[in-house]
Amino acid sequence: VSTRRTGISRRTLLRGAGVGLGLPWLEAIAQSPAQRNPVRMAMLYMPNGVNTAHWYPKGEGRDFELSTTLEPLAEFKNQILVLSNLWNAGAKGGDGHYCKESAILTCATIKKTPGVDIGNATSLDQAAAQRVGDRTPLPSIELGVAPVAVGVDLAVGYTRVYGSHISWANASTPLPRELNPRVAYQRLYRAGAGQSSDTAKLDTLLLDRVLGDAKRLRGEIGAEDGKRLDEYLSVMRSLEQRVQRSASGERRNWKARVALLPENAPTEQPASHEEHCQLMLDLIATAFQSDTTRIATFMFGNAVSNVSFRFLEGVTMGHHDTSHHGKAEDKLRQYQIINRWHVEQYARLLRKLGSMKEGDSTVLDNSMILFGSALSDGDSHSPHKLPIVVGGGGGGRVDTGQHRRYTEDTPLANLYVSLLDAFGTPVERFADSTGPLAGVLRG
Amino acid sequence: MIRARLALLVSLPVALGAQTGGFSFDDAQRFLRANCQACHQGTSPAGGFALRDIATADTMRTRPERWNKLALRVRHGEMPPKAAAAPPAAERERFLEWADSALRAAVCSAGATPGRTPVRRLNRDEYAATVRDLLDLQTDLTSFLPADGAGGEGFDNAGETLFLTPLLAEKYLDAAKFALDAAFKEFKPRARILVARPGDGVTAEQAAHAILSAFLPRAFRGPVHEADIAEYMSLFRSAQKQGLEFESAVQYTLRAVLVSPRFLFLAERMDEYALASRLSYFLWGSMPDELLFDIASMGKLHDPQVVRALVPRMLRREQSLDFVKRFVDQWLRTRQLETDKAPDAKLFPAWTTDAEIQSDIRLQPALFFHEILKRDLSLLDLIDSSQTVLTRKLAKHFGEPLQVTGADQQPRWLDLPKGSTRGGLLGMPAVLAVGSYPYRTSPVLRGAWILEAMLGTPPPPPPADVPALEKQASADAPKTVREMLTQHRANPACASCHSRIDPLGFALENYDFIGRWRDQDNGKAIDNRGELPDGTIVEGPQSLKNALLERKDQFVRNLTSRMLGYALGRGLTAQDSCAVDQIVSGLKENDYRAQKLIELIISSAPFQYQAPQGAKK
Repeated sequence: VSTRRTGISRRTLLRGAGVGLGLPWLEAIAQSPAQRNPVRMAMLYMPNGVNTAHWYPKGEGRDFELSTTLEPLAEFKNQILVLSNLWNAGAKGGDGHYCKESAILTCATIKKTPGVDIGNATSLDQAAAQRVGDRTPLPSIELGVAPVAVGVDLAVGYTRVYGSHISWANASTPLPRELNPRVAYQRLYRAGAGQSSDTAKLDTLLLDRVLGDAKRLRGEIGAEDGKRLDEYLSVMRSLEQRVQRSASGERRNWKARVALLPENAPTEQPASHEEHCQLMLDLIATAFQSDTTRIATFMFGNAVSNVSFRFLEGVTMGHHDTSHHGKAEDKLRQYQIINRWHVEQYARLLRKLGSMKEGDSTVLDNSMILFGSALSDGDSHSPHKLPIVVGGGGGGRVDTGQHRRYTEDTPLANLYVSLLDAFGTPVERFADSTGPLAGVLRG
Repeated sequence: MIRARLALLVSLPVALGAQTGGFSFDDAQRFLRANCQACHQGTSPAGGFALRDIATADTMRTRPERWNKLALRVRHGEMPPKAAAAPPAAERERFLEWADSALRAAVCSAGATPGRTPVRRLNRDEYAATVRDLLDLQTDLTSFLPADGAGGEGFDNAGETLFLTPLLAEKYLDAAKFALDAAFKEFKPRARILVARPGDGVTAEQAAHAILSAFLPRAFRGPVHEADIAEYMSLFRSAQKQGLEFESAVQYTLRAVLVSPRFLFLAERMDEYALASRLSYFLWGSMPDELLFDIASMGKLHDPQVVRALVPRMLRREQSLDFVKRFVDQWLRTRQLETDKAPDAKLFPAWTTDAEIQSDIRLQPALFFHEILKRDLSLLDLIDSSQTVLTRKLAKHFGEPLQVTGADQQPRWLDLPKGSTRGGLLGMPAVLAVGSYPYRTSPVLRGAWILEAMLGTPPPPPPADVPALEKQASADAPKTVREMLTQHRANPACASCHSRIDPLGFALENYDFIGRWRDQDNGKAIDNRGELPDGTIVEGPQSLKNALLERKDQFVRNLTSRMLGYALGRGLTAQDSCAVDQIVSGLKENDYRAQKLIELIISSAPFQYQAPQGAKK
């Protein structure tokens, strides 16, 4: 058991016992891991599945050959882990997209509803953020490029809210994504810059006041109608805690590992889908390098995304259209080109993280960047054999450089048990997990 | 009390009976026995659901939730499951039609009742509009907040999907600061807020009190108690203690007001003021104005006469276009033209190079509906009309000889020449584009769009194991989309839905993917003929519109449901369908006049009242 993990469990114990922050020895704990490189974790989600004929690598174990779609990862072959045959059992049945894509990080069975009893579960990223998110200025970031999908899919009876969110704070709260690169950067910058104690004091007073209003209103409203006010209360309280932390002694022990500069904020209006995706992925690199947060999720598009990929040579249609290939050669070809483009963007992020030095290692060495889709073949909406890759060494814990092929329908949740362990937030179980995923972590 | 008033207000709906179209309860039982019994019987029925639990007609009243779930699963094609034999499509349709009306009749036997509308926050658009109106500010705050998803009847004002998240909380604090900074720098907003200043015998304390006494009731959309003002006064004092000057301290205190749940949330208790808010958020998407406050304070908002006078007045106000835009954009799904459905830049460069034509196309359906409302025309004009809204560029885009007078680019309401195909929503490029791929037309997408948006009967998703169109690649493979679809329909599994979908779309084939008229496609003459399952032949847009007019009740019912869902900011329940029935029959008696729809919604039980706490949903 590493000291890092011990530190966290003590801290968690502390919180469980209801002891306030700011105890002198807590600073000592906060200081010691600062010497070490923190582990970061991100998930890049690709909608619509993959052309399965071109995804899976040949061979197993350390001796494997990348497929045409995964080829852009060649330079990282020793720093990735390709995982085949995983699935989320909770997503079988249901509709073609929402039940799978919305549950990619929760491994739950979502509730079929136009909204009133929306139900998923806490996602991988938030499970981690809720435990150690207070070590960094922002607990996590959620990024995307496409606005939340409009309406209810009347044909299948699911609100499209499902398909637009992979990060869930709890069963009923999907987390909105930042879409504007500039605004997202400014948020990182400001969070890192912190607040003066005067501003923090004023913000705290203000939040106390509105919390007072909320409590009174809550008292006037019955349980079934007050759900949203409960959300308000809990969110404003956590914001208040964050404000206080940002000016407290504890926070002063956090230092940006690389300073962010306001003048480096990227454009507000990227010229293309490609530029937009790249700017958002750059933000993950920036956030991780500076240690503004250690947890991020990114969606290349919403479920059923039909973004036009005609900007790619040889592609004439939208993403979702190609995924319903009906085994037609031309569509399958276009589908694969689009898949590969996503892998290229992923490789670009790995490259960027790999170029960021941290002592003797790189940010990539200390990260776990998950990439994948919640469907394998998009035409049949298959939830089996999910295309999943993990990139980065996770601080030396992840046993990269392999292609692992598991027994078919091994729970994807097992991978999450392993990742949470490497991240320093171990859990006994995650959703339907049956244990850690064999071979992911070093012994 | 509420009950007593309801009894006066609500007359029993037209009894639909448990028998519709010759399909009876016994027929339904036969249908269920044939298709479901094998699994749903015995001591451990599949999914814990046994047919014997719903074997008597009485269960439609006592266990409507069972019936609703059943109907929904059959409708979405989930039951019978893939592995089992599917019922013949026509029989399935008849069963579903029967289930809908029989369930409604069972639930409505007690008259329309209000449902529960839980407390909800303002959505992004409502927030931005409210801050604008409250502060008299021209700055648009929309881009400060993340967009909201949609729930219920498909709108982004549905309480069920208006979550409150940490990111949003941060944004509220930022947006409030930004808006107040801007307001204090501009003359008009500043004067409106700072109704008092310290000096001339007025203390800072007194001035702040006067400011808050004027501001709080408007921000909280109802009367406030002295105790509420006192709470905010104490915040003001704390700010001064922290060293803030008078104006900064006021600004800081108002920032708290704009982050308070009393500002951000719409109340669930239906007092007069809450009703005024419901009304103004329905028709303006923003806070009530002074007149509405006054009417509320007199307790007159329940009076149908007052409502009748208010509706045209509210529709004349500019903000009503915001309502119509939001409603139409989401109802027709034309909002997708901003994302997935944006026409291909290579095939239609004007979309990206000419902002005017883009906005003309985007706005046309909303402007058209807005005119219908303001002029109190027939809702059936949405299906077909002899007038429409056009700009010069749009007329040119149509490729038809349409005359728009005047030299400017202003949208005009004008008569269409005789024989024009551009009447109604189906003649509009926005609608025709949203039913296409960004690069070509699709009779399937257009047909499905008509079934969903206009008739409220979306087809279920295609079963997973059916070969898609282009799969059958062989030497004698069909060449055109029509030929492929014809072959597709030869498969009975496909035919069940596509015989309903495709003919509707074929009738619109004369419009290209962005709504321009064409007689040929790839050198071949357009074939715009199709046959509906009942044998009706539709050929071209006009005959399609005539066929839809034959189904006007279904169209009006769908429009009413969607708009009631929008007005309430929540999804409709089985109980609400009784109110929908009443509104629909009211419309019928009034020649489908557009303002009547708004009036009847406002006067309906679910809009006016809130079911008592603990009442079942």
